[in-house]
Amino acid sequence: MIELFEVTKRFGEEVAVDGISLRVEKGELCVLVGTSGCGKSTTLRMINRLIEHSDGEIHLNGQPVRTFDEVALRRRIGYVIQSTGLFPHWTVARNIGLVPRLLKWPRGEVRERVEALMALLGLPVAEFADKYPHQLSGGQAQRVGVARALAADPEILLMDEPFGALDPITREALQHELLDLQARLHKTIVFVTHDMDEALRLADRLVVMRQGRIVQQGPPLELLHEPVDDFVASMLGGEERGLKEAALTRVRDRMLPLGPRLLAHERVAAQAPLHQALSLMLWHRVDRLTVVDDDDIPIGELSLRRLVGSKS
Amino acid sequence: MGQGRPVPNVVLIALLLAGVVAWLTLPAVSVAPNRIVPGTPLLAQEALGWGVTLPALVPMLAVVVLGWRPEPARLRLALALVVALLAAMPLWLSAAAAALVEAAQARLGIGAALWLLLFLWLLALIELRARLALPRPLGWALLLPVLLAWWGCLSLWLAPLALYREYQGRSDQFLDAIGQHLALVGAAVGAALVLGVGLALAMRRYAGLRRAGFGVLNFLQTIPSIALFGLLLAPLAWLSARFDWLAALGVSGIGWAPAWLALLGYSLLPMVRNTFVALDEVDPAVIESARGMGMSRRQVFLQVRLPLALPVVLEGIRITTVQAVGLTAVAALIGAGGLGTFVFQGLGQAAMDLVLLGALPIIALALIADALLSALADCLRQGGAT
Ligand SMILES: Nc1ncnc2c1ncn2[C@@H]1O[C@H](COP(=O)(O)OP(=O)(O)OP(=O)(O)O)[C@@H](O)[C@H]1O
Ligand SMILES: [Mg+2]
Repeated sequence: MIELFEVTKRFGEEVAVDGISLRVEKGELCVLVGTSGCGKSTTLRMINRLIEHSDGEIHLNGQPVRTFDEVALRRRIGYVIQSTGLFPHWTVARNIGLVPRLLKWPRGEVRERVEALMALLGLPVAEFADKYPHQLSGGQAQRVGVARALAADPEILLMDEPFGALDPITREALQHELLDLQARLHKTIVFVTHDMDEALRLADRLVVMRQGRIVQQGPPLELLHEPVDDFVASMLGGEERGLKEAALTRVRDRMLPLGPRLLAHERVAAQAPLHQALSLMLWHRVDRLTVVDDDDIPIGELSLRRLVGSKS
Repeated sequence: MGQGRPVPNVVLIALLLAGVVAWLTLPAVSVAPNRIVPGTPLLAQEALGWGVTLPALVPMLAVVVLGWRPEPARLRLALALVVALLAAMPLWLSAAAAALVEAAQARLGIGAALWLLLFLWLLALIELRARLALPRPLGWALLLPVLLAWWGCLSLWLAPLALYREYQGRSDQFLDAIGQHLALVGAAVGAALVLGVGLALAMRRYAGLRRAGFGVLNFLQTIPSIALFGLLLAPLAWLSARFDWLAALGVSGIGWAPAWLALLGYSLLPMVRNTFVALDEVDPAVIESARGMGMSRRQVFLQVRLPLALPVVLEGIRITTVQAVGLTAVAALIGAGGLGTFVFQGLGQAAMDLVLLGALPIIALALIADALLSALADCLRQGGAT
């Protein structure tokens, strides 16, 4: 559990972070969004003390971070950044094993752990263990970055725009992998991003920042429906918020069981997000879709009226 | 060009053709009755006749033809021919010595054509080594037959060679001079390394020192070397007169002490600059993640910053060493010894061969230092960085 109480950071005259309070529960994935320069990275770095906060208190599991030795503290917190920061002169395996080695794990255990993590992140050991970072694609490098952050099984993970430099397809793949990992590992994660779709997809709790302050925080749907001001509303997509919300809802939540009518010709997966169903309707110019399961077997239908959720 | 046929290797062709022109039109040797009188220049065909001169063209033109369609097999043949040409040169000189030199005092000088051929063929060798992607050690091994041929001919037949006569008159001095030269370069570069790294580290920590430091070093670099030696003369003479222990160490206004100090002064700037830039330009994201992962300051420096900076630091050592090899030649003027002694003696006596006896090894030393340190930097880079 991470708690920030009225935390402020000043760089000389400039106030980068202005009295923010935040509580991230154990196992929660908290996403920080906001305009450039609003203090997201600074907030993240204050948690692992790469930057010391000027005022207020930051607690990990109820204990002020200032009471920890900073080096020991950081070894307990995973840290992933956009440019990966992999050591170019070390192999992938050595990069991943960094923190366990700093913690003086026995050699054999380090190796086992590295291999387990490479398997977890879809990096075949035989192919990748001895490669150098410059031989990796952006997506592979970022996987290594995540593996390195997870190496010593930290309770907390800080991720600063980790997928920011990747193409949309790789980015989405990694987002899904992160959600899968999180479902298994239940880390406490603070995640910074500029991409609102990414934020909505990942967040248990969404925090909107502006000029060093938190403007609003809460579950994504709550922010979508009840933004406190125009800034939050526009951050969350303005007029497009309907589509953003549809992206958070699954087809299976709106579909009706198969009725007596003939099956509609066009199909949509039950797992697909609602905006995809809407897009299919627009594309095929129809107002009814057949909903199929993972094996392409019809299990229900979705009408435009149901999709938009109109009451009747 | 079409059909995947390799493009002619213009470099190789041009080098060898230039060689042919030099061989036919420039003096290959000169014969002088004694040390001081300038020799009579002789073309190759004047020295040994067309019977030798024209057949020598065969391998040269063969390389040109081979370079026209540079497939690997043909380039390997060309490489063998170039090595053979380089090795044949001392044999030709031996024959010329036997034919032209009779009097015991007479001397045979190497003419412009041969110097040029030596230069052009070595360039051809480098070009071929690069084209064939031969590993460095193999490249050096190729020079072995050439060196053996020179050594053999020198000891058997080339006694009248002027350069060799100058060497024989001073063989002890020659070795001493090389020793002094290397010692001075080593001491200056070694001290510059220790001081330079220390200074670079201090400059990274204290921004104020940075500007002042680079200012002073840049200024030092602009003083001409002779002037710097001169400037050091008075204070060092005064110091050694003041302090007996300094005098006992051999410190005085002339000799090794001012030479070493001046060399150190010149070496510091490239050393400090490269070390500073190398350490400073390590990707900040790498440093940030190193700290973020929980490495201590010391670990970040020793395991990340330093190893990543090392190839560039080594580059500084390379530049400094090559520069110091050259500057040490000038240090001979203030009695610091070294190979420069021969150069300045030769200039004083108008004996060009003596100048060469000093200058050639200086060039060789610079090239060797350059090659060794480049090879070392390559080894370090193999780790995968950059
Ligand atoms: N080390 C520093 N020294 C001085 N000012 C800093 C420092 N780090 C950040 N700042 C300032 O603090 C403010 C917040 O920076 P921060 O990096 O936290 O923004 P951010 O929200 O992460 O922005 P972005 O989305 O562009 O990454 C900026 O105005 C920045 O200029
Ligand atoms: Mg940032």
